[in-house]
Amino acid sequence: MASSENISTAHLVPALRGWLSSQRNVRRLQQIIIFIIMAIGAVAMIAPFEWMLATSFSRSANVAMPRIPTFWPSDPSTFNYKVAITNLPLVRYYLNSLIVTVMSTLGYLFFSSLTGYAFAKGRFVGKSVLFIILLTTLMIPFEIRMIPMYLLMQRLHLSDSYAALILPFISGGFGTFLMRQYISAIPDELIDAARVDGASEFTIYTRIVLPLCGPALAALTVLSALWRWNDVIWPLLVISDRSLYTITFGLAMASRSQGIFTGVALATSAIAILPIMILYVFLQRYIIRGIMLTGLKG
Amino acid sequence: MLRKLRKSLIWYVFVAPTFILYALFVAYPTFETFRLSFFQEVATRQEFVGALHYIRLLGNQVFLAALLNTAFLGIVFLLIIVPLSLVMASLLNNLHVWPNFFKAIYFLPQITSTVAVALVFSYVFQPNWGLVNGILRELGVAPLPLWLAEPRYVLTGSRAAVTILAVWVALGYYMLIFQAGLQAVPAELYDAAVVDGAGPLQTWWLITIPSLRPTFIFLFITGTIDAMSRFSDLWMLGGPAGTPARSLQTIVMYMYQTAFESNDFNLASASGVILFIVVLILTLINFRSFLQREFSSQSGA
Repeated sequence: MASSENISTAHLVPALRGWLSSQRNVRRLQQIIIFIIMAIGAVAMIAPFEWMLATSFSRSANVAMPRIPTFWPSDPSTFNYKVAITNLPLVRYYLNSLIVTVMSTLGYLFFSSLTGYAFAKGRFVGKSVLFIILLTTLMIPFEIRMIPMYLLMQRLHLSDSYAALILPFISGGFGTFLMRQYISAIPDELIDAARVDGASEFTIYTRIVLPLCGPALAALTVLSALWRWNDVIWPLLVISDRSLYTITFGLAMASRSQGIFTGVALATSAIAILPIMILYVFLQRYIIRGIMLTGLKG
Repeated sequence: MLRKLRKSLIWYVFVAPTFILYALFVAYPTFETFRLSFFQEVATRQEFVGALHYIRLLGNQVFLAALLNTAFLGIVFLLIIVPLSLVMASLLNNLHVWPNFFKAIYFLPQITSTVAVALVFSYVFQPNWGLVNGILRELGVAPLPLWLAEPRYVLTGSRAAVTILAVWVALGYYMLIFQAGLQAVPAELYDAAVVDGAGPLQTWWLITIPSLRPTFIFLFITGTIDAMSRFSDLWMLGGPAGTPARSLQTIVMYMYQTAFESNDFNLASASGVILFIVVLILTLINFRSFLQREFSSQSGA
């Protein structure tokens, strides 16, 4: 036995060496190793989500969790989802998230590009000073400003309103900066030609500048949508009316009361996560391109 | 003259909305945070008290612990995520099978809200039946780690659990930024290295990594700011006090607790100013150390 094993290894080593002497085979082996490493990482990325789904479809998970984690419910049922939907006005939360995200993103796109156009192509006194002032925003984290912002909202009687969730975010230093960089690359001749034809600056902005800004606007859409949809600290400060909760904030507040019912809690988070994931499957190319363009994340 | 003024007027109209919002939500609140930190509310009236709140903070064990904790969690996170994501991005950059599929999968936690991810992880790290300990038990590990119930500085405690969470969430994003940097490395540099007879590892160490300097600066600066203002995930897992035993409390959580649970807006503002100064100093240090290295390597060459 031992000798035959020795013979086979003795044959294997030169055989392997021979196989590896081909440059193409070395590359193939390299690809296989990298693929395996990437696949292990990918499983680690997916596993918590899959486990969440499996548990959310298990009614018994509320009473006792299996000691060995399962990735398929032993007693498939939609019970937890029914409870989650009757417990919380999740449709309302979603609607609120949509209103807040769409409104603030539209504002962010419009004002960032309009101001960005002025800084890229306009000629006016104080332009560079104003631009530098605007750039200081990038150095001041939101958390440092949040207390006076909260007090301001109280004084303006805007707490517990959509306006509180939208207004502070409809323009920003980062968006303006990105749009200015992008618009600067548009040739002046294009804009001058329109001016000679008597077009107003606003017409030039809507007819010439905006149509050329597709990739930058797409990137800003992604960022603004992710920021607003996932924000929790600002709603925590300015929203106490349950009918104004966003889905992210509603999930955060619910997790405090539902914690003991594992199945229901995970069904609630699945409801909050899954529609975004499905959207991501279709939009991932644009989202990833947008992040790579700006270097910023949600 | 009037015509010229009218012509530039339109530009002021274009920048006005952004600057009105800037004044209301950036300039005024920043100034107000500084102002509030020097005042004290005495019977509905604000009274100037000088540096009183700063003295109170520097003698406050809870605040100092939160500050230290934020820095500790941030440093450990960056020390793990930067090398890990660089290696993973370099590997993925050489993979010809499904590279975009993997990119999309690794990025998945980034589009999911921090709140939802933290909620799922509070169950993933459950000591008796959570996903992590369930797998560890199958592998024969005993005794099983306590994770989020263990406040001490150990490799299986609450700080380790939230660091694993943060790395899991951020990996795809850091890889993406590194990949963008890798694609910007000029191909001639690689060609020159091959001509000089450098192996793949040598090329990576001597050509790729030094060429990624702008990416490192960007990630260290944004990573530091993000880490210093960490809030949502730890608030979800440990409440504003960073339970257990304040092991998860960060400086922003302390700020939130002081302002909205103790109703001390002035003290909270002072802690906000300290956060601002720390962020500023760290950003400058990051800038300087990277720039210095750039100068020394240039003069050395």
